Amino acid sequence: MATVQVSEAEKVYILHGIRDDLRVDGRGCEDYRHMEIETDVVSNTDGSAKVTLGHTAVLVGIKADIGKPRPGVPNEGYLEFFVDCSANATPEFEGRGGEELGTELSNTLYKVFNNKHSVDLKSLCISAGEHCWVLYVDVLLLQCDGNLYDAISVAIKAALFNTKIPKVHISADEEGGKEIELSDDPYDCMRLDVENVPCIVTLCKVGHRHVVDVTLQEKACSVASLIISVTHTGTVTCTRKVGGGSLDPESIFEMTEAGKRVGKALHAPLMKLLQQEESLGKTRQKVGFLG
Amino acid sequence: MLKSKTFMKKTRSGGVMKIVREHYLRDDIWCGSEICTECKQESPVLQRDPSIESNLCSYPHYVIPDTNVVLHQIDVLEDPVIRNVIILQTVLQEVRHRSAPVYKRLKDIIHEQEKHFYTFTNEHHRETFIEREPGESANDRNDRAIRVAAKWYGQHLEKAESEADALKVVLLTNDLGNKQKAEESSLLVYRCEEYIKSLIGNPELVDRLALSNDDKHDITSSKVLFPEHLPLSRIQAGIKSGTFLQGTFRASRDNYLEATVFVQGEGEDSTEVLIQGLQNLNRAVYQDVVAVQLYPRNQWLAPSSVMLQDEGAAKDDNEEDKEEEDEEKSVTEAARKPTGKVVGIIKRNWRPFCGMLNLSQIKESTRHLFTPADRRIPRIRIETRQAATLAGQRIMVAIDGWPKHSRYPNGHFVRSLGNAGDKETEQMVLLLEHDVPHQAFSQAVLSSLPKMPWAITPEDMVRREDLRHLSVCSVDPPGCTDIDDALHCRELDNGNVEVGVHIADVSHFIRPCNAMDKEAANRGTTVYLCGKRIDMVPELLSSNLCSLRSNVERLAFSCIWEMNHKAEIIKTRALTLSSLEVRFHIDSETHDPIDLQTKELMETNSMVEEFMLLANISVAQKIYDEFPDCAMLRKHPAPPPSNYDILLKAAKSKDVEIHTDSAKALADSLDMARVDGFPYFNTLLRILATRCMMQAVYFCSGMDTDFHHYGLASAIYTHFTSPIRRYADIIVHRLLAVAIEADSTYPDLMDKQKQSALSTNLNYRHKMSQYAQRASVAFHTQLFFKSRGILNEEGFVLFVRKNAIIVLIPKFGLEGTVFFDAKHKATPKLVFDEEGPTLKVEQHTFHIFDMVKVTISLDASNIQHQKIRMSLIEPVISGVSVPAPVVEPQAKKPKLDR
Repeated sequence: MATVQVSEAEKVYILHGIRDDLRVDGRGCEDYRHMEIETDVVSNTDGSAKVTLGHTAVLVGIKADIGKPRPGVPNEGYLEFFVDCSANATPEFEGRGGEELGTELSNTLYKVFNNKHSVDLKSLCISAGEHCWVLYVDVLLLQCDGNLYDAISVAIKAALFNTKIPKVHISADEEGGKEIELSDDPYDCMRLDVENVPCIVTLCKVGHRHVVDVTLQEKACSVASLIISVTHTGTVTCTRKVGGGSLDPESIFEMTEAGKRVGKALHAPLMKLLQQEESLGKTRQKVGFLG
Repeated sequence: MLKSKTFMKKTRSGGVMKIVREHYLRDDIWCGSEICTECKQESPVLQRDPSIESNLCSYPHYVIPDTNVVLHQIDVLEDPVIRNVIILQTVLQEVRHRSAPVYKRLKDIIHEQEKHFYTFTNEHHRETFIEREPGESANDRNDRAIRVAAKWYGQHLEKAESEADALKVVLLTNDLGNKQKAEESSLLVYRCEEYIKSLIGNPELVDRLALSNDDKHDITSSKVLFPEHLPLSRIQAGIKSGTFLQGTFRASRDNYLEATVFVQGEGEDSTEVLIQGLQNLNRAVYQDVVAVQLYPRNQWLAPSSVMLQDEGAAKDDNEEDKEEEDEEKSVTEAARKPTGKVVGIIKRNWRPFCGMLNLSQIKESTRHLFTPADRRIPRIRIETRQAATLAGQRIMVAIDGWPKHSRYPNGHFVRSLGNAGDKETEQMVLLLEHDVPHQAFSQAVLSSLPKMPWAITPEDMVRREDLRHLSVCSVDPPGCTDIDDALHCRELDNGNVEVGVHIADVSHFIRPCNAMDKEAANRGTTVYLCGKRIDMVPELLSSNLCSLRSNVERLAFSCIWEMNHKAEIIKTRALTLSSLEVRFHIDSETHDPIDLQTKELMETNSMVEEFMLLANISVAQKIYDEFPDCAMLRKHPAPPPSNYDILLKAAKSKDVEIHTDSAKALADSLDMARVDGFPYFNTLLRILATRCMMQAVYFCSGMDTDFHHYGLASAIYTHFTSPIRRYADIIVHRLLAVAIEADSTYPDLMDKQKQSALSTNLNYRHKMSQYAQRASVAFHTQLFFKSRGILNEEGFVLFVRKNAIIVLIPKFGLEGTVFFDAKHKATPKLVFDEEGPTLKVEQHTFHIFDMVKVTISLDASNIQHQKIRMSLIEPVISGVSVPAPVVEPQAKKPKLDR
């Protein structure tokens, strides 16, 4: 993971600031940095979104393909995750440098998103036991400036919202042979219900307090952080502790409560934004990667 | 400006792919009109004054047809009257997608400068490109694109010229919905028929209109005659599951109610499905690709052996010839064949057909039946106002469709070929019906010719051996201009003899993949008709630069052997077969045949032939050794033993034994076969043997394992000696040139798939050219008998059939059928014995080889199918034979006749 070196004096300055609910860039402890979201940025995917959070930038593309349902759940589709830590984001990722982080991130993403409570996996089934949609979620880190989990989760939710799966119907002949037929209208698509898709809130223990959306400097001052995935109702679906230090039960409880509060507040404006963007349709001015 | 086009595609593995293509829009696409001052175009295509007069549009205008108009009315668009047409890119793409032949024709029109057809790339024009909208089908989107482009043109031209008589654009569409929408956006729009009919002074153009769907209703009764065709999706599902079979529809030449569908199975096994009855034939036309459903085994039928011709006149749509359909139900089990019915058409293979018009009984009627020259094609109903002029002419007609309530398909007049019976016309019919490419060579082809005067250059000499010091001679009939082979022979110092075969080096002039090469590959062979030659390569090559004429320097490919005086090259005996070749003595002024004789073979001919065979075999071995995967060879499969049945039976009747174990045994026993007092017996037997043979074919050595040439008794064979008139020889020359490092290779030459496809075409062209040749001989024979009136000649029975004998007249090399069951006469008592085979007519029994006397005359009652009629004179059978008519002595000096 990308790190920065912080001197002892800087550390004290950051710690003292947080203690007084005032962070280096002027935010409060539960404030996010400026966030930008744009969907439908990669035309050859079925759904895509780009999220920038401070200087952190991630791109998520979703490709839908037809596969075979998992034996245990014949009437559900599934998601596959791959996180590419490109050396664009930080020189440390060069070569195989980003591999470990990528695996760690994608493992977490499987836990958070690939279950029927988060995504309506049943709607991805085409014919039980035979064909289902597999959503390949590719995450590309463009720039790292802390708080990757939150940025990625927001981008995934936006990309899922944006995903258009072509409609298919199964035609069966007399012999029982099944044939998948594709609608020839490119606008004839299925959309996913993303209401229950959670967002991840990472809380970082800095000193005696905890903050959300840490910058790299703040991160360098913390010993441990807690990853919480929260749905729009405030339900916690997953928690995970990362970092070398330990957390006492009391602060875990406090952090969870804070995470719920922040996560619940994150969903409503996000959905509003996505719907707004969608309603613009083709008239929307695309920003893309150069804007 | 950049747009992207997105569409979904199913991949072969069953996945779904999203494909995104970048689509660039430009603002430098010009309108192509002469009046436009805005567009910076160099040579505008559309004229300033498009002079076409129409009742509907009194103003000067350009025409924009939509896709369906182009697809269905291409015959109209080809007419020289129709000019100044804008073909939109949308239309061009759709046409290309839906019909390759129409696309080719459209491209040809566009390239013709006289036609002033302009292609407007509206899909890349910034102002006329549109994106598909949600809920819009691909067709609707294209229709909209056409309307948008038409609208743009209207506004653009208005801007260009401020004068009152500004040019307008007229959109032609037959789609009512599209027309309505176009009218709403205030475009000038007409239905194609409407517009064509409004054109002043071109009434014959209306005949060329293809009938559109709504026109068809008033032509026929509403009674449904045929079962509905299944949609393609169901057909495909059925073929996949095995309930239907896919095959090529082959109508019977002799019986219009019968056809077979040839189903290509896995590998070698292929089946033929018999289809009988109009309902089961279900509107399939010869050569269509159809889906058939088999009947259960107990409903299988045997092919009928009667000849039936559709004599129905135009009006008797509804009265079906019932008795014809349910005849011969009592067939033996063995004769039954898989029988089925056509359930759907996978691909129509309609082309314009040659034929003649049957005038309707009603004088004023504009609807007539057209009878194609090919009996396998059903009659076609057409609409024309020039019936009176077209009667007695050979015309071409294209099929437009075959609705399920119509007894005959509907079509439209394409063009007239000339008066029936004229030599020119008949020749044209012959060429068209046998699919012989006979147009003059295009400019592109001619531009690949070497510049004249041509001379051998020093570069040519570098890789060649100079044989100009040798005396080389050719043996060819007088008047032959395409001489592709020559020989030389000289004594060597060591006492041996050197013999060389020199073949014109055509591959030096025809370079791979240029226009001339492609044209030659397509033509495949030169076609020789009586009095006409349709060249495979332009005349400059065939009769001059490549022709090994005397006293000129020519490039050649030579094959040289050294042999001792006894010519001891191991000789494999080739099978000498026989078929009579006829030669006409043609009157030099009228070009009518005045005499007819069978070709005589000279000793020198067979010597040349012997050497050519030798050259071909040597070359075949050489190229096969060098390129085992892609050598172009020729094989002649051994016929299955059952083919010989008739030959063996015939020989046995004269107590002669024929061995058919191998080509050599056959050749030897044919040589031995003699009957005292019957000198012609041997020739007759050889003619019979020829009929037993299979067709020799070209093939690519990498695609086959059986190379044997049965007729020549050679393990390997190819064609090397006539590159001027056969394309296979050119390929062989190229292979040989690469093998001896005289020339470089090119990818297609080494690609066995491409070679194989090429051989298929060559085989097809070769077969067709032979048919055309035969048909040409038949036509000239008819001309000859027309001028000679009735003749009495001696002949031999060649075959015995159930109701006829086939007689060969040696004097003319003419074969004819003597029928014993004439329509208007009582049929005599006929007993057919298959074992003999013999036919007993009343008291007299006919055997093969019997000598008979017949009278020969021309039967011109059916002008389209004129034929030679033979009637029996001797032996005299009462009620069957005819008295010998008095033959008028031929005028001694034919010139007095004129």
